[in-house]
Amino acid sequence: MILQMIINGVLGGLMYVVMALGFTLIFGIMRIVNFAHGEFYMAGAVLVMLLFGQFGWPFFVAVAAAGVLSAALGMLCERLLFRKLVGEELPGMIMSLAVSIILQSLALLAFGPAEQSIARPFDGTWTLFGAIVPWDRTVVAIGSVVILLAFYAFLRLSRYGIAMQAVAQDRETASLMGVEAGSVYSMSFGIACLLASLAGALMAPVYTVGPYIGSLPMLKAFVVVILGGLGSVPGAVLGGLLLGLSESALATTFGSTIALIASFIVVLCVIIVRPSGLMGRKGA
Amino acid sequence: MRKGLLVGLLVLIAAIPWIVKSGYVFHIATMIVLTIPLALSINLTLKLDQLSLAQPAFMGIGAYTAALLTMRLGVNPSLAVLAGGFLAVVIATVFGPIFLRIKGVYFVLLTYAFGQIVNLVFQEWTSLFGGNNGLYGIPRFSIFAHSFGETEYYILGLGVAALCFLAMYAIERSDVGAIFQALNEDEMFCRSIGSNAHSWRVAAFVMSAFMAGIAGALYAFYIGFISPDSFGFEATIDLIVINVIGGPGSVFGPIIGTIVVVPLLEFLREMRQYQFLVYGFCLVFFIMFFRRGLVSIFERQREVV
Repeated sequence: MILQMIINGVLGGLMYVVMALGFTLIFGIMRIVNFAHGEFYMAGAVLVMLLFGQFGWPFFVAVAAAGVLSAALGMLCERLLFRKLVGEELPGMIMSLAVSIILQSLALLAFGPAEQSIARPFDGTWTLFGAIVPWDRTVVAIGSVVILLAFYAFLRLSRYGIAMQAVAQDRETASLMGVEAGSVYSMSFGIACLLASLAGALMAPVYTVGPYIGSLPMLKAFVVVILGGLGSVPGAVLGGLLLGLSESALATTFGSTIALIASFIVVLCVIIVRPSGLMGRKGA
Repeated sequence: MRKGLLVGLLVLIAAIPWIVKSGYVFHIATMIVLTIPLALSINLTLKLDQLSLAQPAFMGIGAYTAALLTMRLGVNPSLAVLAGGFLAVVIATVFGPIFLRIKGVYFVLLTYAFGQIVNLVFQEWTSLFGGNNGLYGIPRFSIFAHSFGETEYYILGLGVAALCFLAMYAIERSDVGAIFQALNEDEMFCRSIGSNAHSWRVAAFVMSAFMAGIAGALYAFYIGFISPDSFGFEATIDLIVINVIGGPGSVFGPIIGTIVVVPLLEFLREMRQYQFLVYGFCLVFFIMFFRRGLVSIFERQREVV
């Protein structure tokens, strides 16, 4: 029973980590709170519904295509709408709200308000030390781990990843060292949207797909980044796993609404004790 | 001079329901005066360089408190409205200091989460709040035995809106307004000369919750029916659009925004999806090219957003 709870928590938590990483990345680098982050999750899921569900592409090809298309959309938004607002928190936030409701209405106009389910590419369950694990969730978890490792390697090892870290730490010094901030913004926005839409794309067969499915994962991403510390990558990982575990522990006994309220109360307590989050930098 | 023109224009608009004697115009005018306190309440948090996404939650707290007190306990609506505002104040006083503990975007994220969770409670606690079906049959507003007709209710709403406006105007013109502005420009300096930044911010947040709570309670008695839908994220978007279009830097901004947006909202009620598309493009346009909003046609002002 406890093992089952832990496994469910990790399975859920890994998805939250992927969502929260992109969100925290955009904030860390551009100082923009991206309220449209959930809509890129939705875009990923909708694209999988189209490519896999209707056109019959292989599932993973559809997931990859959904990710690439959403990343391109994200980079376009960044270049046209967000570039001018880097560092201006309030206008940046309102702009992201605008992008969010535009994407939501477009999805609503194109697909209608009803939530649709798509055929599951993976069925059945397997057992791990007596705990029952559904295959589709396992695929999401493995996908998330692959995405996280790839992201970590990119951030630590590649020139671009190091450039992104430099801009996040100190934009002016980074540009003095020859790091072109513009391309870093564009890349980090694209990567963040890629992460969100991959999460949505992987989750599409697990839940239903509709124009409003992005808001709950976004709310969870908010909770995770506040818990872990805004702008902190290890914080997002820790926060995501903690949220997943606490949710699975509470949701099985009290229901998901109570679990969400409880996680919010925990976040408030964390803020009282450690204002910058569990792993946040001071004053970040 | 131009400000005088603006005030004259507003008085004229307030008188329209008596000039054009139509029930529909009256309804829209009432919706406008009931929305003004909400728009002003979000404007107050913008004055602190913060964006509160919890205002519709406070509106909902006010509305449900007032409705439940009159329906279940038979409290007089006039007292129930005050109780609704009071409960919003109590809740804001508890959470405000935590939300405002760290400067910057945490406030937005926390108020967003708070708003969503309050809405979830309205939806899920069906025995008390009626769930997604909401609460039906909220009685008409009355002060003791005197029941309010439509005209009287419009006047009441207008009075409340005017009071909120005057309070905000007084804040902007007084030392308090200067303190808010100074806090945004150089918090360290303000604290060094002895002004308690945290307390001022909490006080403003509590006041904004009070305005939203009262407005919510008045809305409940006007419409006679409330459901979680009216206090969700879409309502937040309405209020943000109102502020951005009107101009967030001035007290007149939200008023102008409300007068422009609320009629559109009522006309487009059947086409909510197009409405949000239009909203989105309006926000993009105003943020990119017209950040001071419509009010800048009437007056010179500082940039806030």
